[in-house]
Amino acid sequence: MIDGNIKPLTDAPQTALAPLRRMAWRRMRHRPLQYVLLICGVAIGVAMMVSVDVANHSAGRAFELSTRAVAGRATHRLMGGPSGLDETLYTALRTSIAGLPAAPVVEDYVVGRDMGETPLRLVGVDIFAEPPFRGYFPLGADGIADAITHLLTHPAGIVMSRSRAIAHGLKPGDAAILTHGGREIPAVIIGLLEPEDDLSRQALDGTIFCDIATAQEMLGMQGRLSRIDLIAENPALLDRVASMLPPDVTLEPAAARGNALRQMTAAFKLNLTALSLLALMVGMFLIYNSVSFSVVQRRDLFGILRCLGVTGGQLFTLILAEAAVLGLMGALLGLGLGVFLGRFLVVLVTQTINDLYFVLNVQSTAVATITLVKGLIVGAGAAVAASLPPAVEAMRTTPRSNLARSFLESRSRKALPRLTAAGGLLILSGGLLLKLPGNYLTAAFGGLFALLFGMALLTPAVTSALMRTLPLIAGRLFGILGRMASRGIDRSLSRTSVAIAALMVAVSVIVGVSIMIGSFRGTVSHWLDATFQADVYLSPPSLSAGRVQDALDPEVIELAAGLAGVKKMVTARHVSVMAPEIGRVVEMISVDGDVSGGGRRYLFMSGDKKDLWDRLAAGHGIMISESLFHRENMAMPPSPVLLTTESGFRRFPVLAVYYDYASETGTIMIGRDLFRANWNDDRITSMAFFLKEGTNAESAAAVLQERLRGRQNVIVQSSRFLRAAALEIFDRTFTITAALQLLATIVAFIGVLSALMSLQLERSRELGVLRATGMSVGQMWRLTFLETGLMGATAGLLAMPVGWVLAWILIHVINLRSFGWTMEMILSPGFFIQAFAVALAAALLAGIYPAVRLGKMDISRAIRQE
Amino acid sequence: MTRLTKSLLFLVFFAAVAIGFLNRAAIFRYLSGDGSGAATRVAGTSVFLPVDDDAAGFARAVEPGAIRFPDDLGPHDDYQTEWWYYTGNLATAQGRRFGFQLTFFRRALSPPDADGESLQNGGGSKATRPSNWRTRQIYLAHFAVSDIDGGRFLHAESFSRGAVGLAGAAADPYAVWLEGWHARSISPGRVALHADSDDAAIDLVLEETLPPVLHGDQGLSPKGPEPGNASYYYSIVRQKTSGTVTAGGRQYAVTGLSWKDHEYSTSALSTGTVGWDWFSLQFDDGTALMFFQIRREDGTLENASSGTFISADGTTRHLEKADWRLEVLEEWKSPESGAVYPVKWRMNIAAIDLDITGGAMMADQEMNVSTTYWEGAAAFTGFRAGQPVTAEGYVEMTGYAETMEGRF
Repeated sequence: MIDGNIKPLTDAPQTALAPLRRMAWRRMRHRPLQYVLLICGVAIGVAMMVSVDVANHSAGRAFELSTRAVAGRATHRLMGGPSGLDETLYTALRTSIAGLPAAPVVEDYVVGRDMGETPLRLVGVDIFAEPPFRGYFPLGADGIADAITHLLTHPAGIVMSRSRAIAHGLKPGDAAILTHGGREIPAVIIGLLEPEDDLSRQALDGTIFCDIATAQEMLGMQGRLSRIDLIAENPALLDRVASMLPPDVTLEPAAARGNALRQMTAAFKLNLTALSLLALMVGMFLIYNSVSFSVVQRRDLFGILRCLGVTGGQLFTLILAEAAVLGLMGALLGLGLGVFLGRFLVVLVTQTINDLYFVLNVQSTAVATITLVKGLIVGAGAAVAASLPPAVEAMRTTPRSNLARSFLESRSRKALPRLTAAGGLLILSGGLLLKLPGNYLTAAFGGLFALLFGMALLTPAVTSALMRTLPLIAGRLFGILGRMASRGIDRSLSRTSVAIAALMVAVSVIVGVSIMIGSFRGTVSHWLDATFQADVYLSPPSLSAGRVQDALDPEVIELAAGLAGVKKMVTARHVSVMAPEIGRVVEMISVDGDVSGGGRRYLFMSGDKKDLWDRLAAGHGIMISESLFHRENMAMPPSPVLLTTESGFRRFPVLAVYYDYASETGTIMIGRDLFRANWNDDRITSMAFFLKEGTNAESAAAVLQERLRGRQNVIVQSSRFLRAAALEIFDRTFTITAALQLLATIVAFIGVLSALMSLQLERSRELGVLRATGMSVGQMWRLTFLETGLMGATAGLLAMPVGWVLAWILIHVINLRSFGWTMEMILSPGFFIQAFAVALAAALLAGIYPAVRLGKMDISRAIRQE
Repeated sequence: MTRLTKSLLFLVFFAAVAIGFLNRAAIFRYLSGDGSGAATRVAGTSVFLPVDDDAAGFARAVEPGAIRFPDDLGPHDDYQTEWWYYTGNLATAQGRRFGFQLTFFRRALSPPDADGESLQNGGGSKATRPSNWRTRQIYLAHFAVSDIDGGRFLHAESFSRGAVGLAGAAADPYAVWLEGWHARSISPGRVALHADSDDAAIDLVLEETLPPVLHGDQGLSPKGPEPGNASYYYSIVRQKTSGTVTAGGRQYAVTGLSWKDHEYSTSALSTGTVGWDWFSLQFDDGTALMFFQIRREDGTLENASSGTFISADGTTRHLEKADWRLEVLEEWKSPESGAVYPVKWRMNIAAIDLDITGGAMMADQEMNVSTTYWEGAAAFTGFRAGQPVTAEGYVEMTGYAETMEGRF
């Protein structure tokens, strides 16, 4: 075997490991399934992490690109109030400050009817102001006269990227229909954008340029600008600009708005990453389990090798190398799988961002090298790290003790109190991390992981205690086999408890996330019922599900207001206003009544509830949503909020904090008169109708729909449909969580399968003895299933409280900190039953293969070693 | 380290390198400090269908004596092309000489529609309120200061649309402007000029001394043999000028004489013509002279080339192509465009008994902007009616760097 060479192997390092390597390879060939499962476990763990990374990165890059496509080289920008800024400011700047590069921009999202149903950014520019900012229309270039002529003289001329035009069979001269806020806008393609490289192509694919006059007319923004871009490195120049600004216009660095948007989605992305890490944690358990098994199983062999002169270091290297190779294989497989899954995940992530935050158009998935390197390192690293304890074990033990079967068990039993203490300590520190003051999401996740890991460490002790008391019951239920099964689990605790812990962690994650989503959905559903008490709702369609910004046409309002059978009508205007102290724009809803008809719930209220809405209508102050309150860490009671009005900064006292699940970034509610006094905007975004007794909401909606036929395309919904639609958006938002949860379950399942299978296969000699002493095949099947079933049941039982704790943390800490939403925890027995069933099913399924194999075993061969 | 470990490390390294190779660009971006993978600037250009540059539908200059004041001081949007041209020769009390040019060009991108409406209906719907930015008039302006003694020629160009107050012109009170640059009436007969660029500025007040001079046939100035290929053209010459010129960071108080041309037309150079030479001279005896010669490819001059001599009392005399003889004495090759321009001439006009020699006050006064041409201060000395005279003025030469055929 070692070529008869008795010299210490270290003398011949070149050949020393070759036989060991051959040995390991032979073993893999004989027991392929175990290794396949290990590789799969690593692969799925890595795949999850990679796919979430890919999705996050792609969404981030799409955002970055769409920003860059229109940001150009601007250093600063001027932003106005809800309806943009007055165009005369641009002329004033242009004519009075010489040498200030400034460019007006009018933009919004539109959908091209024959250009794919994705939102496109319609950007209206003044070609003469463009050259310092964006290089798409260079003055002085050949053909620029054509560009100027087409842009200025074609009243509906648009310029789109060549690739998008080709993809949809469009060419210059073709007509196209854009839709915006329910209006159809005829357009004509007058030119094509030719991106310089592939990246620019992706960036420009989602952008349509046109003349600023065209954009104003198409978007109904006559007289207004979305913003003015500036290039001003010189502070003196900025001071001059600042001195000219009307009070409602703010000067901000060009990157500020993008950063604010990025920050808004940061919590969402962190949540996804944490979920993928959770999966990896489960994956690591499984790797540890598999590797430690493969070591434990070979301890006879290792003992012999040590006797033959193989050093502890060589064994250590062998085990580690084996794990590294398997880990690497798994990781590589995981990379491929992850990139593949990422493509689906991107869609879900984009959907959620569109629903909750802002319009995002992701053209392609982007895989960052760092993602792949991370996946590779984490996959292989996790495998190596998990195999470290067994490898150290194999290295340290003397040849003699390696041969002793009971050695490992007795030693790990001695370690049990320490392990339990460590678990307790982890739980304690996890709790402390969660209690940490402030709004640190990372700390919260750290606490969550510490808690989960601590509970996993407690598993052996709990299992042992359970298995010692269980024989009494198990014996009564299943006879001698029952007692044997429970004692068997306790006896080989070092192996069984790892499998149980892995299954417990996986299942508790399922329980926790299920409870969280269930509670969330229940809360939102209650909130919808309480808040949307009006019977019929009217609003223009919106690209971002969470918000409406486009106004209703006055004639639509007039027609709708004449609807018969209406008891009361409430109109609202949705706008974005700058909140300087919060450092970003906040959505504001100006209302002339309460759509909840008093059903709304409040976290805080100043004064009497009875006259709250009267005071709001009278302009005594504003109301803010709970998510704004939590996100901005406001004190209770909230101090007045500073907002940028048309006439400058103004503080608005907070009358109440209301629960709201429609916006993740927070909203402000303001009375109609107070709003119009401070912002020059008398448009209406949505209308709600309370019907008289006995009027059917569905038919009233149908009547309204009919009345408005042929006008602006609006959405008329009865309250029932509105609530259903809202819940649909909610479910869509959580599709990604559910998808990740499913992946975590698969990881757990594979882990448990491989762990239990190895455990059973390892016992073939023991079972051989039992068989030789008269155990029937049927009894052996029963014993196997009893054992795996008991383990599954234990894991399932332990997962219930752990899952509950997890859910509590997710609901009361993580979600509150991420989104600022308070949720009531809704516990349904279904979640626990489902989790227990999953654990049990996984465990029982894992017993099938070993049972089949053991049933076929040759008894004499199995016990020959004795 | 054992061999196995080594080979494993190698494997990991190899895998990393392989991934890196496949994703080179991303790695590079990452190393250059941007993990988002979007460090490179989004860049691109655009292509448009060529515009059918048809002048049909525009008004044309056909009628002698059509110019009316003050109405015709302002813009004529129905004509395709229009310019307000200010040039002047200035000097400080110490005799430091400057020249300036401030020109506003207007160009209509498309002819006015029959109903005069359709352009105003963006968005396709008749109900759409037109944007204030909606216009077919674009303006460009050229500004140059010739710091003769400093040897500097400082020039700049600016574009804008004739809308939302960014650029435009008005008859009464007279004004023409493009963003911060303007010529604006401040009181009857007095106009303020202002322009500034990175390295130069002017702030001048121009005072009329003579009534406007109508060129050609009572203001109708033909540019080619075709009917309608002509412009309405008048000048306000010998305007007393004072104010400041800024060049190279220093401001100078100056006085001198300025010349204004205002010309509007729907005409282009005829086929076979390459450009023109334009002279405007203001003599120290109170007279002034303008003539332009349109050069043809074959080296001959277009018959429509003509000029006007303005005597000290403002009476004018029309000059035909045959009236002058211009001999090039010196040429200068622009290092920037490579074009070769005449910069010294002998000018002989028997009809007004003029024989002078002179040229550019400095050779390099080439406007290197969206159109390359030479426009610069010039000085002549010689005799008129037997008396010694000196003249200062401006010379414009186009079509030396690129043909002007079909343009303006």
